[in-house]
Amino acid sequence: MATAHPIQLTQYAHATLGVTWSDGHESRYDVRTLRLACHCAACVDEMTGERRFPDSSVPDNIHPLQIKSAGQYALHIRWSDGHQSGLVRFDELRAWCGCGGCS
Amino acid sequence: MGTAPPEKKPAPLLAGVTHVLAIASGKGGVGKSTLATNLACAIRQTGATVGLLDADIYGPSIPKMIGALQPPLQATDTQQLIPWERHGLHVMSLGFMLTQDAPVIWRGPMVHNVLRQFLQQVAWGTLDYLLIDLPPGTGDAQLTITQMVPLSGAVIVTTPQEVSIHIASRGLTMFGQVNVPVLGFVENMSHFVCPHCQQETAIFRRGGTRKAAEIYEVPFLGEVPIDPQVTLDGDRGMPTVLAHPESAAAGAYRAIADQLIAALVRRAPRHAAPALELTWQPPTPSN
Repeated sequence: MATAHPIQLTQYAHATLGVTWSDGHESRYDVRTLRLACHCAACVDEMTGERRFPDSSVPDNIHPLQIKSAGQYALHIRWSDGHQSGLVRFDELRAWCGCGGCS
Repeated sequence: MGTAPPEKKPAPLLAGVTHVLAIASGKGGVGKSTLATNLACAIRQTGATVGLLDADIYGPSIPKMIGALQPPLQATDTQQLIPWERHGLHVMSLGFMLTQDAPVIWRGPMVHNVLRQFLQQVAWGTLDYLLIDLPPGTGDAQLTITQMVPLSGAVIVTTPQEVSIHIASRGLTMFGQVNVPVLGFVENMSHFVCPHCQQETAIFRRGGTRKAAEIYEVPFLGEVPIDPQVTLDGDRGMPTVLAHPESAAAGAYRAIADQLIAALVRRAPRHAAPALELTWQPPTPSN
């Protein structure tokens, strides 16, 4: 496989998701940022590519309820605001890693 | 008032299955189900335990090919459907539950639901291999299977025509996008051997799949000749690998099975991403 894949998911405090990758890298993600990054058809207009809702409509304390693998290429997150139609691909999740080494 | 019963965590999907393999094609009518059935039998003959899931919801053909049209399926105590055992294979198909000739006229979400049930609510038990016979194309069934099941790999079946190979390359791209390794291409209907003079005729032009495999850098697992006996065997529910083991087609199926097993040995079981799950602990309400 070209892309590294997550081998462990960890919750840090209330709002940070930790991902340990198959190549040993570790990433941390703010969960609200992940929610805002969802690009499923319910969140992003298919034709214009514009987000269908303002940032302010997503509560500050939003958090996942559950995170599960979707096959071998993505994570599926069920959110506390009821949203659950999006998938986060491993390659894009890795690209969003904001650690000093990656960014 | 008692305390709530502890939440029962469902077992991981297909936990007892070592290798889950998808048999796929871009185009329909390339002989995918015939190949899946015969491959399953050939792998079974190596001593492995083998399951066969017919994921072609709109056109289930496995029941006919194994000679079990409406078997009396039974359920376990936990209400899981028990696969039908035939020719040493553990088989499940929507076709088992349909009256003959009844068409399946469903939209995508129904297909998703049925496939999910076939994965979650069928007692697959312990198997070395589960072959999933996919419908042609890159649609609902492919998405459901690749999102729900950690596949060990996929086999893409084509016929030698350019149109078939061209569409197969789309399947290759799809499996690439969902991180499922393509274990190889198989060329079905590659040539015809005259039973009288033994001369080979490449009816649909031969060798295109091998060339495509080179271009896309995918292993070429083998080719299966056109043999009217394969059709006759399929129609009477007796796969050629079992009915005519001495035939060239049966030999081809066995060779492909060997190649496939070797390709899997070269990869670790469930070579890639482990199935992860995290239940988030919400913040305690402050007021």
